[in-house]
Amino acid sequence: MTTQNTPAPDRVADRKRRNAARIAGEVERELQSLRGREDRLAGYDYFLDLLAGGIHPGAVERRTGMPALNLLCIQAPLELIHAAGFLPFKIFSGSHAADALNAGGLPALTCPLLRSVQGLLQFEDSLARRPWVLPTTCDWIVKLPEMLRSTCPDAKMPDHWLELPHLKETDAGREHWRDEVFRLKKFLENASGRRIGRKDLARSIATYSRAWEALSRLEARRQAGAIPFVWFLALANTFFLDAPERWTASVDALIPTLPDNAGRKEGRIFFAGSPVYFPNFKLPRLIEEAGIAVTGDDLCSSGRIFPGGVSADAASEHELVAALAQRYHQGCLCPVFADNDRRVHNILAVAGNFSGVLFHVLKGCHPYDLESHSLENALKRQGLKFIRLETDYTAEDSRNLLTRLEAFRQTLGEA
Amino acid sequence: MTLGIGALRIGADLGSTAIKLVIYSGDALLWRGKAPTAPNQESIVRRLIAEGLSAIGAPEAEYRVVATGYGKKLYAGAVKTVDEISANALGLSRLSGGAARTIVNIGGQDSKVIRLSDTGRIVDFKMNDKCAAGTGRFFEQAARLLDVPLEDFVRLGGASTREVDINSTCVVFAESELVSLVAAGVGKEDIIRGLCASVARRTAGLLGRHFEEAVYLDGGPAVNSCLVAALEDELATEIHVLEAPQHTVACGAALSIPDSGI
Repeated sequence: MTTQNTPAPDRVADRKRRNAARIAGEVERELQSLRGREDRLAGYDYFLDLLAGGIHPGAVERRTGMPALNLLCIQAPLELIHAAGFLPFKIFSGSHAADALNAGGLPALTCPLLRSVQGLLQFEDSLARRPWVLPTTCDWIVKLPEMLRSTCPDAKMPDHWLELPHLKETDAGREHWRDEVFRLKKFLENASGRRIGRKDLARSIATYSRAWEALSRLEARRQAGAIPFVWFLALANTFFLDAPERWTASVDALIPTLPDNAGRKEGRIFFAGSPVYFPNFKLPRLIEEAGIAVTGDDLCSSGRIFPGGVSADAASEHELVAALAQRYHQGCLCPVFADNDRRVHNILAVAGNFSGVLFHVLKGCHPYDLESHSLENALKRQGLKFIRLETDYTAEDSRNLLTRLEAFRQTLGEA
Repeated sequence: MTLGIGALRIGADLGSTAIKLVIYSGDALLWRGKAPTAPNQESIVRRLIAEGLSAIGAPEAEYRVVATGYGKKLYAGAVKTVDEISANALGLSRLSGGAARTIVNIGGQDSKVIRLSDTGRIVDFKMNDKCAAGTGRFFEQAARLLDVPLEDFVRLGGASTREVDINSTCVVFAESELVSLVAAGVGKEDIIRGLCASVARRTAGLLGRHFEEAVYLDGGPAVNSCLVAALEDELATEIHVLEAPQHTVACGAALSIPDSGI
């Protein structure tokens, strides 16, 4: 006869506290490492404080006074959500401790980002309170609600699916997406109890355009070698942790204080592939250790958190929503699209500014893994240096990665 | 022996299973030695240096050391460090007289494929990720399970009359497969041949279909002619192996020191 193990509630609570402490310790170690860097500027402190304040919607709500709306990925127009009175909060996690919490209950090759997000959500007590919008991007996102049922039984997610057509460059794909964005608008109006008018939209579009412009100015300084990749990532990762106006003002305040370091051209690379999220800055640190500078990226966690600006001058509310839909669809280079040649073309177009391209694959992130091969072929045909690094949130492969990065650095000097 | 100041160039390859050391005077290789990797790698390197200098009759000679390998930063006496891929490329290119275009290196816990230009520069490289499948560690594990010293793999593998199909090159999962084969009465010589073929298939996968000749194999397992033959069959090309293939990376480190110093 077998009996089911039902641990005592106090022991379950103890275990939860221990796990939360492990995650907090990981965050604190990375923060200490950032605070201790010689290239730390006073202007970085605002962003460090955001990371220290907790990566969860409750912290953001307390900071901004706005109700948060939980998101994953980058396809839902942020302006639309903001115009409805919500603060878009993109859930992310680079925590290995959170990743390890779920390892046993998921497929062996689960994307570590999604596994870590699921681990983190076990500590989020408001899953049922805040609305969720999920785009149907990769398989891991699509199956997330199903996978969460065992660990977060109270979660009633998503409240809204944003159905992403996997063909982008077709009329049918474009029309479908536009209809989806209009459906999202209706959902947001129902969830917030307020109608999204033209003025609301124009105001939110202007707010996010200013944020995008600030990021673009920062990007220009990065290309000149003025901001290390680790700091750029830390800044970009914080975008969803505060009101966009304050974040934008802080980026604008930082830019004039950045050193004028337009140094040598060698060893500068473009970083592409799977996203990198705090506190997992393993790979960026190893890249630095190998003597390589990342001066451009197309990560959805960094250089591509915005698809670009949208003009708020359109005459009608309908035109503004349609313009947002078009911008987010055409500007999105997620590898889940079947017709994603634009991504390769974009990288090829800027590749001349770099000595080489590093492609990061999170083990289990199949769309990026698959796309890495066509990009590798296209770049090598042009005689460009390319390295593909597959890794996860563990530290055990650090020496192996460093060896490859050091050798890659040597080849860059010969480009 | 009388040697001028800075005349000796020493390459130390601090690998995951062995520390290899070579001593050069100019372009002449004077000595090579190795020791199993163990804690306190700094002292092992110092011991090897003393042993080598003594062997060439120049215990007081001045020298400069370049360290490479996973433990390269553990030897504080190095004038510089160089990554093992670059050291491998330089060493094998020079030792092969510029003939090598493709290097296959099977180390203690990783495998690498390096493509060289006609001037010996790295064109491209690939390295297995953190899994140690199909590396020297796999052969060590197989030797333990079969109770056969690694040195006997060549003799036994060469005596095999049939190749046994072995699916796993994983250090962990190979155990159950090998135990099952032994229990089924399959001869150790046939199992060893199967192991070599299995590693050759995995290595060929890393290399891909397009590679330029001449192809050189180095690293510890390269002394196993059974593995070399299996790799030749798998790639349908001749595989070159230099004398002391475990030392080519250390040679590259030594040769990265300019004759006139750093």
